[in-house]
Amino acid sequence: MLSLHLPVYALLAPLIAALILPLTTDGDSRQLRYIVGGAALCATALAAVSLKGTLGGDVYTYYFGNWIPGVGIEFVINIFSSFMSLVVVFISTLVIFYAFRNITHDLAQHLIPYYFTLIFLMLFAMVGMIYTNDLFNLYVFMEILSLTSCAIVSIKRKGRNLLASLKYLMQGTIGSVSILMGIAFLYMVSGNLNMSALAELMPDIWQSHSINVLISIGFILTGFGIKAAVFPLHTWLPDAHSSAPTPSSALLSGLVVKIYLFAAMKLLFQVIGVDIMREVGLQLFLVLFAVSGMIMGSVFAIGQTDIKRVLAYSSVAQIGYIALGISLASPAGLNAAFFHVVAHALMKGALFLSAGAMIFTTGKRNVNEFSGMGYRMPFSMTVFTIGAFGMIGIPGFAGFISKWYLGLAVLDGGHPWILLIILLSSLLNAMYYLPIIIKAFLCHECETVPSVMERDGLPATMWVPMAIMAVLIVLLGVFPQLLMNITGQMPHLFL
Amino acid sequence: MSGDNTNNDCAPCVPCAQESLFSRSCIALLTISFVLVGAFIAMTLIGDAVFYLPVLRQVFSFRYYPLLLVAVPLLSGPLQAALGYRSAWLRDLTAVTTTFVTFLFILAMYPQLLTDSIYNTIPAVFGYGLHFHVDWLSYVMVSVSGILWLLVTIYAHEYMAPEEHQDRFYLWMSVTLGGVLGTVMASDILTMFLFFEIMTFSSYMLVAHNESAESLLAGNNYIYMGVAGGLAVLVAMILVLFSTKTLQFTYLAAELAETGWIQYAVAALLILGFGVKAGMLPVHIWLPKAHPVAPTPASALLSGVLIKIGAYGILRVATSFFMPAAGPLMSRDNPLWNLSHVTGAAVIWIGILTMAVGVFMALQQSNMKKMLAYHSISQMGYIIMGAGVAAYLGYYGAMGFSGAVYHTVNHALFKSLLFMVAGVVYLRYHELNMYNLGGLWRKLPVTFVVCIIAALGITGMPFFNGFASKSILHHAIDEAYTYGHGSFRYAEVVFTIVSGGTVCSFIKLISYTFLGRCPEKIATVPNTGNRMMQMAMGGVAVLIVGIGVFPGYLMNTFIIPATRSFTYDPAFIDRYLVDMNFFNSHDLMGTVRVYALGFAIFFVGKKLHLFHLHLPKWLSVEYVMYKPLQSAVLRVSRHITTNYETKANNADVYIYAALLMGSLLMLTVFFR
Repeated sequence: MLSLHLPVYALLAPLIAALILPLTTDGDSRQLRYIVGGAALCATALAAVSLKGTLGGDVYTYYFGNWIPGVGIEFVINIFSSFMSLVVVFISTLVIFYAFRNITHDLAQHLIPYYFTLIFLMLFAMVGMIYTNDLFNLYVFMEILSLTSCAIVSIKRKGRNLLASLKYLMQGTIGSVSILMGIAFLYMVSGNLNMSALAELMPDIWQSHSINVLISIGFILTGFGIKAAVFPLHTWLPDAHSSAPTPSSALLSGLVVKIYLFAAMKLLFQVIGVDIMREVGLQLFLVLFAVSGMIMGSVFAIGQTDIKRVLAYSSVAQIGYIALGISLASPAGLNAAFFHVVAHALMKGALFLSAGAMIFTTGKRNVNEFSGMGYRMPFSMTVFTIGAFGMIGIPGFAGFISKWYLGLAVLDGGHPWILLIILLSSLLNAMYYLPIIIKAFLCHECETVPSVMERDGLPATMWVPMAIMAVLIVLLGVFPQLLMNITGQMPHLFL
Repeated sequence: MSGDNTNNDCAPCVPCAQESLFSRSCIALLTISFVLVGAFIAMTLIGDAVFYLPVLRQVFSFRYYPLLLVAVPLLSGPLQAALGYRSAWLRDLTAVTTTFVTFLFILAMYPQLLTDSIYNTIPAVFGYGLHFHVDWLSYVMVSVSGILWLLVTIYAHEYMAPEEHQDRFYLWMSVTLGGVLGTVMASDILTMFLFFEIMTFSSYMLVAHNESAESLLAGNNYIYMGVAGGLAVLVAMILVLFSTKTLQFTYLAAELAETGWIQYAVAALLILGFGVKAGMLPVHIWLPKAHPVAPTPASALLSGVLIKIGAYGILRVATSFFMPAAGPLMSRDNPLWNLSHVTGAAVIWIGILTMAVGVFMALQQSNMKKMLAYHSISQMGYIIMGAGVAAYLGYYGAMGFSGAVYHTVNHALFKSLLFMVAGVVYLRYHELNMYNLGGLWRKLPVTFVVCIIAALGITGMPFFNGFASKSILHHAIDEAYTYGHGSFRYAEVVFTIVSGGTVCSFIKLISYTFLGRCPEKIATVPNTGNRMMQMAMGGVAVLIVGIGVFPGYLMNTFIIPATRSFTYDPAFIDRYLVDMNFFNSHDLMGTVRVYALGFAIFFVGKKLHLFHLHLPKWLSVEYVMYKPLQSAVLRVSRHITTNYETKANNADVYIYAALLMGSLLMLTVFFR
């Protein structure tokens, strides 16, 4: 049995921490770390307990201030929202611990409390977006998320960061406005902002005002296309993700873009409904964008030399995989997409954190300078390798399972040609990940490299989160049922 | 029995007690294994009553050997690397002991196999569980890998001594053994794929071990083609699972027959995927690069075992997915054989092409290891052709099947021995170009003798092992045009010419390397003993001669039970395969013809300097297909990135506007 307030506490814990943090002034103090770490762990624990309450398939609704749904805000806590919020909070916690030391590399002392404030606000917005069942509330959380994610890019206060975050901000605003426009078109004909209520009205609206629904679909899709960096609206992503401080990149690439995909899913499946989608023929339209993203993201990644830019473009490709699973609009497709959301969050997290550790220690960002990195920093490079093997789809790592289920879902949906795209995309992944790994472990032109592996010399707050992610990638790769049993219950909430 | 009959006069062994302890342990282990093999052969001949001696019953009834076989090498690898930090000889001894223990497990599995095949399962992994299943076909592969690994590990000790990063080498060599054993013992294709990929990556570390520019390039070729092959298998797997709801190696021809074009896609992808490993044309280009640059023990294993795994994969899917289940009404004309028939015909021609191109390229080579690598391609062509005949003739395919399996065993033995010979020469003289060598028979008598044995084996001389399998394969291709299409008559002609080319090539190898005058540079190198290496080579040579003198043993004890476990016509097997007379006048005369052809090619070639003829670059597949493909991908990516990345990033708002207008238009105008 779930205490009705638990999930809300999980939402409030980061908010409270965010309010307290600016009061501390010393960015490197023990006190700050206790507050930050405590709040993050507390939120994780609360999210875990609320997951336990919904594992049986129970659904809870929570009315803020006991206002009725039409007037007030409604939260829906089901297996999807409680599990995904646990994933978000858990991975954020790992990244927050990693950030304790790593962020001192990028930021001045006095900015560090503000940085964690922003992270917690972002966490608050992400969890809120997952829980909420109200369209306008969704928009509010989305704005908080947009602003905070811009701020954690620009906090570094270098020219390219400011430029990147300005671009991010502008594009994000266009996206938000576009989504708001779409919501407005729906509100215009329904007079309702509660998703469940809208969904009930939708068949009638579709009969009477189908043009409104269609325009709204167009605005919403394009808006979320920007927000979730679906190709070709991805243009803000590489700059923002690569110039941001490492913990921010891990959060932005690993979690934030997926939250927008979840929101898009809520609108598409829970409000507009899969029947209308099929009738309009939206699936093939979305599949084409997803598929082109899978290829083009990798093509752009091959041309990069900055390690974080490679990873950022790789995210564009991986978002294509998730978008593909979603746009198939079948239980198998959604299941694969949910699995890949978690798998990609872990893999991209591991990749960004290990790349960040190498930048932190050696200051090298260019992949051509990575020769012998496997001897200089064997632990980080091993974590990087595990993440990269996952991305390529080597069996035994989580990414393989995503590809496996995605492949089955694609056949199930009657598009066997996409299998070839998955194959090609994996090959392209191999083309930019393998050279980095090979250069790091086998290197013939570098005499300066020691022939015996050294210790990485990373503080525990950095290597423990990396190790946890690497272990989870392998664990999910070997025992996917641990996750599949949970994600398998989610598609029916949407279809 | 151990073959430790070195007669090198000066053998200043490293004056070190540990070294001699290592040697003595190796000699002991090898002697024990050969005694055990002898006892094993005796037991198989006497009958299975011996297996139930009370003492041994416990050992023989243990059910989990397949799991142990996979686990022991995979766990021992890290152990060896860890020990290597402390002492080299302890690490090497652990490596040898591991392979020895593995080999013991393999021998101990045999009695259970007589009653039933062995199943092991690790539940829950991948959600489907890992399934291991040892049947006769797996058992042949497992035992060849086991014994070869033991001998090569002994050989590796002295060869690797001057090399760097030995810990890494031993680690990955052990992991590769685990991968190989797992691949051949897998009972469903997902398990097979997992170990197949482990094998690809661990053997990459062996190929690129030297870290020279050359070996990294070869390694890149290997790993990219390996990953591509793996992905092809993955796609085929997904198609099979989707259309038949099973991943097990069961007879699926009936289910696949209903899927229309998917069955052909599955067949093509599987053959392509496994063909990459097998060195099949046109995806063979990694092989002649990777095998020469790898350290010799690794090349021996690559050529001896790893490429066979590709052929094993083709054989395995041909005898499961493409094969209908046996039934009372099963006949050759059953329409369910259709897929097998079509694929088989294609595979036969691919095999023929592979063997012809392989031998043709081998004749042009001056580097010994490179020449041997091209011969590996050519010999894989024989095996692939055998597998093709097996699939093509369907119900009557037992001859092709047994030829392919038999040749797999034989090629594993003589090709690894030949690589070991090249390794000895290289270790001593740092020279692999055979035109710069000569007269080595005086300096390396043991090596010379084993080289002759291996060469006689590969060229198919009676009383050496290659003869038996080549005869069977020859019968198989004969049958292909007797029972099948007439065009395979030309395949038979190519087969004979290729065999002649092989003879010529080895005449060339021996006469340039071991005979003739000794160049001065070589003559001055002092003699040092490589006793352990010689012992390992002697061990392989004994096996070659043993199989050659008693070709029927392997056939009756292992291969015929293997054919009987699949849907092959039992009457056909009884009539043609059981107690086959290998030394009949027809086959012996064929050998004479092949040898005459070989000598003729050699003398003509030498007179006209044809061996120095090099084909223009544009004729090679690599320059026509792969290089342009790879550079095109890279160039296009870079081009797009440099030219359009900034443009796209600056045009973000326009892209947004265009997409928004486009989607709104599409939704409102076209849908309405």
